[in-house]
Amino acid sequence: MAIGVKVLKRPERQVSYVRATLKGLALTFKHMFETKVTMQYPEEKSTRDARGAWSLSPRWRGTHRMLTDEQGRSKCVACGLCPQICPANCIKLVPGEDEQGNRYPLIYEIDEFRCVFCGYCQEVCPEEAIHVGQHYENSEYSRSRFVYDLERLQSQPHAVSTLWDPTDPRGE
Amino acid sequence: MTQELVTVTIEGAQVQVPKGTTIIEAAKQAGILVPHYCYHPSLPAPAVCRMCLVEVEKAPKLLPACVTAVAEGQVVHVSSERAKKARTGVLEFLLINHPLDCPICDQSGECELQDYTFQEGRAATRYRDYPKRYNPVEDFGPDILYVTNRCILCTRCVRFMDDVAKSAVLNVSERGDRAFIGIAEEQLLDHPWSGNVVDLCPVGSLISKDFLHKARAWELDKTASICTGCSQGCNITIETRDDAVVRLKPRPNMDVNRHFMCDTGRLDYRWMNRGDRIEAPLLRQGTKAVATDWDTALDRLGQLTGGSGRAVILASGRASVESLGLVRAMLDGFDVTAAVRVPTGPEAPLAGIPNLALRSERAPNVHGAERLGYTRDWAGALNAAGTADLVVVLDASLDAEEEQRLQEVKGALVVLGTVVADFHHRAELVLPVTTMAEENGVYVNRDGRAQRYMQARNQAGMARPSWWIAGEVLAGPGPDADAPATAAQAFEDVGRRYPAFADLSHQSLGWVGQTLRETAGTAR
Repeated sequence: MAIGVKVLKRPERQVSYVRATLKGLALTFKHMFETKVTMQYPEEKSTRDARGAWSLSPRWRGTHRMLTDEQGRSKCVACGLCPQICPANCIKLVPGEDEQGNRYPLIYEIDEFRCVFCGYCQEVCPEEAIHVGQHYENSEYSRSRFVYDLERLQSQPHAVSTLWDPTDPRGE
Repeated sequence: MTQELVTVTIEGAQVQVPKGTTIIEAAKQAGILVPHYCYHPSLPAPAVCRMCLVEVEKAPKLLPACVTAVAEGQVVHVSSERAKKARTGVLEFLLINHPLDCPICDQSGECELQDYTFQEGRAATRYRDYPKRYNPVEDFGPDILYVTNRCILCTRCVRFMDDVAKSAVLNVSERGDRAFIGIAEEQLLDHPWSGNVVDLCPVGSLISKDFLHKARAWELDKTASICTGCSQGCNITIETRDDAVVRLKPRPNMDVNRHFMCDTGRLDYRWMNRGDRIEAPLLRQGTKAVATDWDTALDRLGQLTGGSGRAVILASGRASVESLGLVRAMLDGFDVTAAVRVPTGPEAPLAGIPNLALRSERAPNVHGAERLGYTRDWAGALNAAGTADLVVVLDASLDAEEEQRLQEVKGALVVLGTVVADFHHRAELVLPVTTMAEENGVYVNRDGRAQRYMQARNQAGMARPSWWIAGEVLAGPGPDADAPATAAQAFEDVGRRYPAFADLSHQSLGWVGQTLRETAGTAR
């Protein structure tokens, strides 16, 4: 079966471009007076505004943060549950004992490249120490900087995820 | 001697057990675990924990399974409504004062309180009026800490020290809800077998300082092995984490060590993790030792062992039957003087168990070596080494003076070693071999019992078992050479060469070993 091709007739006389130009300019000028919807990232950051637009969900799971106690020590007791639950196997933990006989992590490293940001580490943590963060800007100059050590995890200033509450799964 | 059998029904399963067996043991034979804390097969049963209460039909009350003997036609329910309710109640009482510090507790993951609470315990406490009782951690001895708060007073540790170790230093102090495990004044828990209380403790109350915070129970890989501490040959489990040995635990073997092992053996694992290992075969070329591949090294070894004259083997008492047998066979062309080094130390018996002690011969395979034509005449072998044509050192640990003497030997020196030593630069050939933790093999203990051990971690660098090296040399070069590829094949090869090990195989030895038939003499 032959394919039908619609053949357009070429204009026989010259057509003016003025009308089309004016039409385009009118649209451009109309936008100058309308509400702006573009966010000026990175000068402007996503913060929760009155309409709730352009903000991160409270369940957003970004790069990790380790919370600290009043003395500035990490809350982690090196129980080993997060490396155990981690499906990507990205957490390295070596437990040790400090001068007061408390258990604490000698080495705590998260490879953020391997991490799949499932948030299980935060969910399983009995001390509410490790959290996934409300954070999405992670650029670095070298790959090795993406292995976050304990010091780095503690000094992250960003807010942390609240994950989801099983009794309130929609966050209401 | 036939024992009278009785038939009981446990959870619907009929079992026949000898008269006098306790319900808990009969249930074990039916494949049913009765939850328990104070009962332990190697200790007397006091029935204090009340955890093993089971329902027996026609009995008015629940009966403790650990002390009640079975009777003909008895019908026992372990998980009936009444029995379950009793256990839930016991668990609730235990948890009133038990701290919720599982994240930092060393026992977590292998804790019986944790297990049973998950199975049958209440989800939440009903006891909110008073804070939990708190007592500080006590230091009991060289390797043992007592965390008072976690104790559930099963008294296994007290009974072990009283009835098995016969050194009654532990007791139950105070009464009622203030009770705790006390230690006799001015005493330490420093009995040579005291480390067993850590294994016996069903919760994390008695913990080992050596293992403290080192690893979590679920991270450990466990391998059946044999203790290298002495010639008793206790069955152990080597527990590794990330390819490093972190602790040794006794493995039950009713004929050798029951459920126990001594502290000397328990803490003797650091040498398995040594980092200063020989990682490649080193071949002497002129004045230098050059790292080479196995083919070249085996060719050279073949040349050296192809000669004749007098040869001396200086072996470690830790070498396996396979290695000792094949290395000895490799030198058949020579007039061989072979000796194993037997370090000695004081004997430390465990009083309550017959024929169980930390032996004064501190080498695991002396008796296997003797059946393979090795002697204990270490000094004589060293003297002979001075003038021998070929000296083979099989992973023997030497002191400075002995190393000096080996540097002055006249003949060729071949070292099959694990760790680097000074005298190696005199050697014609240094071959890296595996430690016992890195190979499969067989040891023979002082009662002539051959027992297998398994590979627990990866070998260092290019290291190979000594039996592999000797087997390759014996088989000769070429693609058709029939060298043993596994320790099991090497063991059968040894069996063909030495009558003491004839008709045995790794398979027939199994997990608990087998006593060798005594053959006349030790020579071939």
